[in-house]
Amino acid sequence: MKWLSDEKLNHLRTVVSEPDFSATKYTFVKELGRGGMGVVCLAEDRELDRLVAIKVLNTPDITEDLRNRMIREAQIIARLEHPGIVPVHDVGTLPDGRIFYAMKYVRGNRLDEYAAQNVSLRDRLRKFQSVCDAVAFAHAHGVIHRDLKPQNIMIGSFGEVLVLDWGVAKLVDREDRTYSSDGIYSHSGDTVEGTVIGTQNYMSPEQARGEIDQLDERADIYSLGAVLSFLLKDQPKVSKAAQAITSKAMATAKENRYTSASDLSADIARLLDAEPVSAYRENAIERTSRWVGKNRFLVLLVLAYLLMRIFLIFTSRR
Amino acid sequence: MSKPLIGVILGAVLGAIDGLTAWFTPAVRDQLFGIVFGSTIKGIIAGVAIGFFAKKFHSLPIGILFGVIVGAILAWLVAFMQGGYYFQIILPGTLVGLIVGFATQKYGTPAEATSQ
Amino acid sequence: MDPDTDIGGPAHRFPATNHSAIINARSDDSSVRRRAFDTILASYWKPAYKYIRLKWHADNEDAKDLTQGFFASAFEKNYFATYDARKASFQTFLRTCLDAFVANERKAGRRLKRGGDMDHLDFAAAEQELAAHASSTLSPEDYFYREWVRWMFTLAVDAFRQRCEESGRAVHFQLFERYDLSDDEVSYASLAKDFGLDTTTVNNYLAAARRDFRRIVLEKLREITATDEEFRTEARSLLGIEC
Repeated sequence: MKWLSDEKLNHLRTVVSEPDFSATKYTFVKELGRGGMGVVCLAEDRELDRLVAIKVLNTPDITEDLRNRMIREAQIIARLEHPGIVPVHDVGTLPDGRIFYAMKYVRGNRLDEYAAQNVSLRDRLRKFQSVCDAVAFAHAHGVIHRDLKPQNIMIGSFGEVLVLDWGVAKLVDREDRTYSSDGIYSHSGDTVEGTVIGTQNYMSPEQARGEIDQLDERADIYSLGAVLSFLLKDQPKVSKAAQAITSKAMATAKENRYTSASDLSADIARLLDAEPVSAYRENAIERTSRWVGKNRFLVLLVLAYLLMRIFLIFTSRR
Repeated sequence: MSKPLIGVILGAVLGAIDGLTAWFTPAVRDQLFGIVFGSTIKGIIAGVAIGFFAKKFHSLPIGILFGVIVGAILAWLVAFMQGGYYFQIILPGTLVGLIVGFATQKYGTPAEATSQ
Repeated sequence: MDPDTDIGGPAHRFPATNHSAIINARSDDSSVRRRAFDTILASYWKPAYKYIRLKWHADNEDAKDLTQGFFASAFEKNYFATYDARKASFQTFLRTCLDAFVANERKAGRRLKRGGDMDHLDFAAAEQELAAHASSTLSPEDYFYREWVRWMFTLAVDAFRQRCEESGRAVHFQLFERYDLSDDEVSYASLAKDFGLDTTTVNNYLAAARRDFRRIVLEKLREITATDEEFRTEARSLLGIEC
């Protein structure tokens, strides 16, 4: 038997992991990235003559039950029609049995790349608010992301914000059983010990403990807080209110976090409008300072008026 | 709070302050009550006019300009009736008009919201 | 099927499968056990030999004896019965057993009795490969893994060739060999010309060949993993999905 060089071996490993689109309407263009769940490729949809991103789930041996669950999950995510959630165009099975999702191909930068540019604090907060709105929408439809992080958020070429990679999303169905695309199935109330899903720096404490069956929307709130913390890192003049919002979102005990992504988004909106936020109780000086900051021009006008008045008083005395 | 109301309140307050500064002019100190009253009324009239203008027209520069004009005209009328102190009356009056013009454009509920 | 055990649920219980040589190595049926050991031997003898040569600095004769002695002992004393998939992968477990065996043999200073029925193993070829390609910056453990992956793919290529020949699809294998195994740069157009096919057919044959090859790689892997969980983990690692 012929000896396989390292180069040939690596090539063969790539060959067997590369998705086979031969029986589909897609043509493989290039690999975009790889992760624990699978590989994401750029492909051409020959029928619609457009580029799409295809995620191929790399489960080497798929049972009928798992296939059906994954397709069901893709269907539910496909029904999440929101400008901040990357739309799923298609779901299917490759000839080698692997499940794939075809999604909108987003041209732009990941949030971590975006943040590395010279972006103002206000713009960062606005983008973050868009992320919260998208996540809130998903939560309202029973979908938890479970792997929110800057690398899974895209800023499109028109400045739009899209949340990607719902591959480890958890769905809660009516019978209160939980399904997830990683094939870990359990009844609600069981703890699947040691099964850790998510990315370390952004996962909630309960996720890190492997309590995947105890996760609810607040796990995503924690991750959103971690994303916010990332965006605020090294920024000058981060107010106490902003820090308080981050701390509340990232509270260790989930009871102490925001109860919904909408609440978090609302506090960010208040922060942007120089309004008091729910996460932080101002003292009188801070409240006055904030009001003055918000109404700077009016305050300057009134001060100018008073100065002018004082000037006139002095000149008339002379 | 509606824009005309903001105009009235701000116009009244600034008008009253304006009037009170007459205390620093000993020659007119004994007429202080009348001055304050008149100045407050002037402020209210200016505030109403500017506030209703802001309710109809949403433009910060034009609102400020309108406020300046109204403030200046009313202040000139007062100075004319006084027969003097034109500079000391028109300048602060114009500035009050500017402030009220700015505030009514920036704050207060727009007409569409109040009519619902 | 109970889903809690089907997909490597919390208990990590071994599924009732006859694909796995690891499971079959514990069978009460001696012929099943023998076949299972032959599968394990076929998959591991070469990386084991190279590993002993490099890590234990054994000369080629000693390494040959130790390799054969290890597998013979493993069969006679049923080492693999103690394997627990919850603790480590099978190839890690085997390597650990191998280290313990070699250490014991060295300590005892015994002259090894070679295990029977392993004359078909081509140690000479293994030695030639080692001589030609020995330099590696990898640790012994990573080297063992790398050589195991290399050998797995080599066996898969050979199995693929045999299947293609048996099923009358020799052209599929030849295209695969020219495009994916050869060092020459070839294009679909040049292959189409050489084989008297059109490029679409070449594309389809190659896609089918790669699909079949992938299936064979995964079959081979299934044979030497004990649980679905282990199989998935090793598949991800083997296919270079998780680095």
